[in-house]
Amino acid sequence: MSEVSAPGGTIYDRGYRHYEGPREGQGRRVRAIALAGVRRVLGLKRNWKTKVVPWGLLVLAFGPVLAFIGVRVLFAEAADEFFTYAQYLRIVAGLLLLFAATAGPELLCPDRRQNVLALIFTRPVTRSDYLLAKLAALLAVVALIAIVPLVVLFLGNTLTADSAATYLRQNLDDLGKILIAGSVLTVFYSIVALAAASLTDRRAVATAGLLGVFLGSSALANILFFTAQFDGRRWVAFLSLSGLPGRFVDWLFGAGFDQGTLADQAGFTGPGYLVAMAVVVAVAAALLTWRVLRLRP
Amino acid sequence: MLVAQVEDLSKRYGTVQALDRVDVEIAQGCTGLVGSNGAGKSTLIKLLLGLLVPDQGRASVLGHDVAVDPLAVRSQVGYLPEGACLPGDVTAADFVAFMAQLGGLPPRPARERAAEVCYQVGLEEERYRAVGGFSTGMQQRVKLAVALVHDPSLLLLDEPTDGMDPQGREDMLDLIARIRGELGIDVLVSTHLLGDVERVCDRVVMVHGGHVLAQGSIAEVAGTTEPGFGIQLGNNGPEVLAALAAAGLEARPSGNDLLVKGASDLIRDVAAERGWPLRRMVPRAPSLEETFLRLQAAAGGVPPAEPASPAPAPEAAWGVRR
Repeated sequence: MSEVSAPGGTIYDRGYRHYEGPREGQGRRVRAIALAGVRRVLGLKRNWKTKVVPWGLLVLAFGPVLAFIGVRVLFAEAADEFFTYAQYLRIVAGLLLLFAATAGPELLCPDRRQNVLALIFTRPVTRSDYLLAKLAALLAVVALIAIVPLVVLFLGNTLTADSAATYLRQNLDDLGKILIAGSVLTVFYSIVALAAASLTDRRAVATAGLLGVFLGSSALANILFFTAQFDGRRWVAFLSLSGLPGRFVDWLFGAGFDQGTLADQAGFTGPGYLVAMAVVVAVAAALLTWRVLRLRP
Repeated sequence: MLVAQVEDLSKRYGTVQALDRVDVEIAQGCTGLVGSNGAGKSTLIKLLLGLLVPDQGRASVLGHDVAVDPLAVRSQVGYLPEGACLPGDVTAADFVAFMAQLGGLPPRPARERAAEVCYQVGLEEERYRAVGGFSTGMQQRVKLAVALVHDPSLLLLDEPTDGMDPQGREDMLDLIARIRGELGIDVLVSTHLLGDVERVCDRVVMVHGGHVLAQGSIAEVAGTTEPGFGIQLGNNGPEVLAALAAAGLEARPSGNDLLVKGASDLIRDVAAERGWPLRRMVPRAPSLEETFLRLQAAAGGVPPAEPASPAPAPEAAWGVRR
């Protein structure tokens, strides 16, 4: 950079210079796409409208936990039985569906709709890098709702207990269950949401489609189970996509199914619902991979 | 030295033969890739980037076989695609920095380099605004910044002046000239605007219907390496053409004139022998556009439109581009 002294200061020649610094490999490219995806989903560096849904859902996920801990601090005994981890996870499962149904399409659809792939794939980025990065981004933000609030709740319960050490000793297995349940729900909702998003370049269509399939499948399963009579009708319990995570969580935390519900009468236990979720995830992952590998800039 | 080479390359989309066994050599410097819409220009560029798989033939870019190592090619090539391809709700600075990271730059150098390249292409404070609010010209600048930010050795620009107003087009052509002249980056410009090629390129590849019509320096392709004249001799009819041919002159109609290659003395002698009035004789060479239309017509494409009559004799219409 040359410089010329002038009475009022220094004039710098900002001519073009070749880049001679370090260059990183595949890891950097995947991280860059993943980080941009997280920012996009959370509406960071974007206008306020894009922040409303993700931050609203985050407030709904964290708000009760923080409020509960606050109440425990102020009125320890009054809030003793406010809600269990299983109850909270069932609430979170609803939020997760909404969150994943909006975040998944946000990650995949605009790149195709705005033709940004024409630029991304002209860098040394493979379809696999792209898929891996988008999946990592969605897993990270979904885990933010599926795991972190419950871990915070567990820590809050521990720290506000009469004896933190005793609480921790007696309930440590709950922490393991929180991590297992949160991870299963994170993977289930993330991959299914991305698979749905890979089918269209319109965010609204993907979101509405995913919610429609989840809620519609639940309604269909209940209608079939309670109104039709046929052999093996209990198997329709697995048709209810929105019911699978909650039933697995109930089983994991030892909570019984509500009396008279489809889950109660179908007679399956948690592992059955876990297998059903694994099948759904496998199908969704295959669909997602097929769609992303076929992407053309 | 060649920066890209294509041998016997073919690509078919269903029933459409986009490229048919083409051989192209792209030398250092600025090369124009010209042809009508659908001629196969964008297909050729995508094959050079490894975004498409050829049906046959091979391509190499900067010494890398595209089929074997497309990622090495893409890490050294910058690409400005045709049409809209920018995210509307991201600032130009953020997006260019993101694309720098995809080129392998760490985050901090990526941000610094993005700011520097945005400045170089004429995006100053605007780079902090969302790209969706940019004019077409500004969006083309952002795309150019994206193509440059990872410091490529070769730029592939697909219709860089498409949709731009005259001033924006001039600015973009100036930028392209600077990229080659000052930055030393080799450039391949795909366009259907031959005037753009004449303005910034030193070499040209003409494609039509999936075939290469001509390639070489602009002077060679346009035929401006040999002397020529635009003449109006007699009625400029077939007998005039025959007489000129008999005198060893290569002549063909070009608008209201006959375009003749050869010495002026021979033209004068034909006129004197036949007693035909020589009403007009100006030094003139075919423009790139005339050459392209003639080659296209010879290849069975669109017949050449009759170019407008050249303005009467500005001093030496030699090489004047319309």
